[in-house]
Amino acid sequence: MSGRILVVDDDTALAEMIGIVLSSEGWEPVFCADGAEALGRFRATGPDLVLLDLMLPGLDGIEVCRAIRTESGVPIIMLTAKSDTSDVVDGLESGADDYIVKPFDPKELVARIRTRLRPSASVLGNRLRIGDLTVDAAGHEVLRAGAAIPLTPLEFDLLHTLASKPHQVFTREMLLEQVWGYHYKADTRLVNVHVQRLRAKVEVDPENPRIVTTVRGVGYRAGAAV
Amino acid sequence: MTAEQARTPASLRAAVTARQARRAVFAPARLLRRSLRVRTVAITLVLATVAIFAVGTVVSYTIAQGLFGNRLEQVLAESARATSAAQNVAVGYATDSTSLQNARFAALDSVQTAARPYGLYWARSDSSAGAAQIGDVELPENVKNLVSTQLRRALEKDGLQHWQSVSIPVAEGQVKPGIVVANTIQFGDGTVELYLVYDVADVQGTLTVVQRSLLIGGAALLLLIAMVTTAVVTLVVAPLRQAAAVSERLAAGHLEERIPEHGEDVVATLARSFNRMAESLQRQITQLANLSKVQQRFVSDVSHELRTPLTTIRLASDVLFNARERYDAPTARSAELLKTQVERFETLLADLLEISRMDARAAEVAGEPTNLVDLVREGVDALGGLAEETGTTIRVHTPGGHAFVDVDNRRIARIVRNLLANALEHGEGRPVDVTVDSSERAVAVGVRDHGIGMSQQDAERVFDRFWRADPSRQRRIGGTGLGLAISLEDAQLHGGALEVWTSGSDGTNFVLTLPRRSGSTELDRPVPLRPVDAVPERAVEPRHQETRVEVGS
Repeated sequence: MSGRILVVDDDTALAEMIGIVLSSEGWEPVFCADGAEALGRFRATGPDLVLLDLMLPGLDGIEVCRAIRTESGVPIIMLTAKSDTSDVVDGLESGADDYIVKPFDPKELVARIRTRLRPSASVLGNRLRIGDLTVDAAGHEVLRAGAAIPLTPLEFDLLHTLASKPHQVFTREMLLEQVWGYHYKADTRLVNVHVQRLRAKVEVDPENPRIVTTVRGVGYRAGAAV
Repeated sequence: MTAEQARTPASLRAAVTARQARRAVFAPARLLRRSLRVRTVAITLVLATVAIFAVGTVVSYTIAQGLFGNRLEQVLAESARATSAAQNVAVGYATDSTSLQNARFAALDSVQTAARPYGLYWARSDSSAGAAQIGDVELPENVKNLVSTQLRRALEKDGLQHWQSVSIPVAEGQVKPGIVVANTIQFGDGTVELYLVYDVADVQGTLTVVQRSLLIGGAALLLLIAMVTTAVVTLVVAPLRQAAAVSERLAAGHLEERIPEHGEDVVATLARSFNRMAESLQRQITQLANLSKVQQRFVSDVSHELRTPLTTIRLASDVLFNARERYDAPTARSAELLKTQVERFETLLADLLEISRMDARAAEVAGEPTNLVDLVREGVDALGGLAEETGTTIRVHTPGGHAFVDVDNRRIARIVRNLLANALEHGEGRPVDVTVDSSERAVAVGVRDHGIGMSQQDAERVFDRFWRADPSRQRRIGGTGLGLAISLEDAQLHGGALEVWTSGSDGTNFVLTLPRRSGSTELDRPVPLRPVDAVPERAVEPRHQETRVEVGS
């Protein structure tokens, strides 16, 4: 699996070390050490994935994340030295798909990147119905009354996973495994935040969700097709 | 409605009435106890009433004495004058019966002209036989009854002027005060006793007016005293009350509260010194808070700054570790050691950061519905490797705890993991019993090993940071020494408790108890701290004292 990965981190030693790990996996790393230059570098290199440090000189990671999200749905994994709830949630809400807390295991990093770079969920080309939405797996599109709703690949994966088994309740752990590729207990806030982001885009009334409904104490399920 | 039913409301009503009555009785008492102002005014009024009553009584008595004395003098003088006038008239007459009759009338006339008494009584003296032919005279009727034998005897004895206070009946059941003055007159060849009755009701009238004035004056004075006391007490109490309110708010954490300072008096001094105290308190607390904030910030920053280079080291050690087959033996072993120690360092750093967050009260509980039984089973599964390594069987008992409870499952899972690791570490390979149970108010997890247990001193320190039961013992799992300290904090964050029971020879039992609803403070004990399979206390050898340490809320 080849791909270009933009590593945005001001610590050059760590960036270089990450570069070594990425290269050994066959990926092509490109670097950027300043938050203010990150967007320019992103446009110039067109990476397949961004590894973004949360603490950056110039522009902080959350701002950079937001800026990239306005023009691209490219997978973003945040590198954070903090695991405080607020920081992690801030990062995820700014549009990051996943996060990894320093210090991390290189295998962990590689696994996270691999999950985000894998070809998208379904290539069967079938169209799924969820609520009043049509999920077009082949076209990688979500349509409401013929109009496309822009989703990031991760959000599309999440919606597609739920829609593929409309009667099944997915626990947060199941979603972590199927969408994020975690094979052990991980942070379920990841799921909560992304479900909320997804709802903000696809629900008519996000306060009263009908597409992705909560099953208290268990998890989430897709709403009935209408 | 049956009779039985009818009785209940009646007794209920009675109870309510009784309660109301009791409240009515105790309400003033409560007011007295609670209000300084009411108490002061009440005491002042009671004392003032006693004083005014005493003074009033004395004054009233003195005035009565004075008034009566004056009147008496006047009465005595009048009657003396009348008697001598009558005596003068009586002297000129012969002693025959008609003359004596005339003499008596003349004498009585002169008496009435001179003295104007309320009544008079002209009586023959028992000892004088000479004046027998003329009869007694009483004006008006029954005046005779007012003259006591005592008075007559006194008169008979010496013939001088005597007096006595009497009550003159005026109407049915009504009397007025009077004075009877007794004198003797030489009449003919005998002696006649002349009793003059004077009405002194006017004195009583004056006295009544005086007493009424005293009463009204006293009442007015009391009212005035009450008003003045209230005003004075209010004046003194108001600043005190303000001071009390301010210290209350200060105690509640509003450190910027101050008492307004007016004037130079003692209250102002109180306000000033109170404010000075509050200021120094505020300064010190702010200083401490800042210091603590700086300290927390520092720890957090240090941990954070350490993380980036640690990540680089971790990645590098991993790359070296993965390539260790290509090196010679010592270098390969070095790569292994580097990797394990970097991992240990990492765990220690994570624990340190966690405990510093807890110290800073920055730890947040993210409660979500959790099945404690599932959580415990997952924890047991996760430690399966260690259990196998130590040859320990973990038996899970779940009589309760299947319902969802709102807890931060990350923290509770961490506690369970810590307790299990601890039990496996010290369980000597004997089975470990894990019990999950619940009650109406609480859910609990007990982790019981049958190892060598601890001494009392050890049990008391088991939640201390970096404390180890036996420093010389080799540790199988590279714990940081912060596990139980963090677990205790985690339990307390949930409003729960983490307790330990240990018996020198009978192992150790840790019990985590959490409230079913967050915020509830009442905990019972779904899982007993003393395990049910514990050796009965008497059977335990005396030197192995049973210990129970309770920590937490």
